[in-house]
Amino acid sequence: MTDRGLRVAVVVLSTVGAGVAAYLTYTHVTGTSLACATGGCEIVQHSKYSELAGIPVAALGLAAYVAIAATAASRSDLVRAAGAAMALGGFAFGAYLIYVQVALIDALCQWCLTSDGVLTLLVPVTLLRLRAKP
Amino acid sequence: MGRNRLFVVAAVAAVLVGGGLIAALVLTNNGSSNPPATAPAGVSEVATMLRNIPQQGAALGSPKAPVTLVEFADPQCPYCGDWEKTSLATIVDKYVRTGKVRIVFNGMTFVGGDSETALRAALAAGEQNRFWNVLALLYQNQGTENTGWVTDALLQGIGNSIPGLDTKRMFAAVQSATVTKKLAAAAAFARDAGVNSTPTFAVGKTNEALTIVKISSLQPSGLEPALDAALRE
Repeated sequence: MTDRGLRVAVVVLSTVGAGVAAYLTYTHVTGTSLACATGGCEIVQHSKYSELAGIPVAALGLAAYVAIAATAASRSDLVRAAGAAMALGGFAFGAYLIYVQVALIDALCQWCLTSDGVLTLLVPVTLLRLRAKP
Repeated sequence: MGRNRLFVVAAVAAVLVGGGLIAALVLTNNGSSNPPATAPAGVSEVATMLRNIPQQGAALGSPKAPVTLVEFADPQCPYCGDWEKTSLATIVDKYVRTGKVRIVFNGMTFVGGDSETALRAALAAGEQNRFWNVLALLYQNQGTENTGWVTDALLQGIGNSIPGLDTKRMFAAVQSATVTKKLAAAAAFARDAGVNSTPTFAVGKTNEALTIVKISSLQPSGLEPALDAALRE
């Protein structure tokens, strides 16, 4: 795939992820209930693991998606490496959060899992950008 | 920059970002000051049963409910556990969620040491209006009488799973004078009411005299006639 195609993919995926993260941030901050087919979203959203030093984890995700989307604007080596690093780091963090949901909270949040799915796709896309000729 | 170096830079940065976030979350939630946590069973059932129902200490439901049901029970008594697991959710949905009945748990500790540990934790959580969450999860995870099953790890796991509960604050209040006073008051109330087996139920108009109810079974139908009668009064 050309870098142009990969950049479009980065923007599209990040936008989906940002949408999910924005929804989770909004419901977390306002305490509104959220649509949830898995039934555990609110348990996860109100658990102690939903905040890091007072910042909602969902807000960190939102910031990361915006930053990853922004890396699509540049072809510089460092920016592309930063995009891949954020996607990989976010993926690892998301994997840990799945462990938290299953083993510690005993509840699953479908929106968090959707975000994990998006990150799983962003990892290969951002890595391919490192390979592609600018 | 060469491609390989680019991958290395990205990988190192990814480890720093991901590892840093994970470490931060682990440290802020499972720091050395917290005992290890055992994940309790029944978290979603209990959360669903109690969702959006107001609590005030050991009372569950609207303070304006016309009828009050007092449950005299020991956290360790197996029949009390059966009642909680098979019938409470139905009673809550039918009578408490609808604002007709409030339930007050009057805890007893005659079975032994674990009863007091369990009740103290629930009463401590009651200061954050999470008494029923802790109590219901203790019943869901009830162990063999007086084997020391109410461990700090179980309480920590229960605490972690309850939305809005500050587990540290709960642990800090467990041996407090307030909790000790509430335990003594509950024991005295049960004695004065002549309760000699558990679970025992008493029903009456809220803030009026209560009558002990002879229940025909531990199914919801065993208690419903008494609640319906009190509501009709």
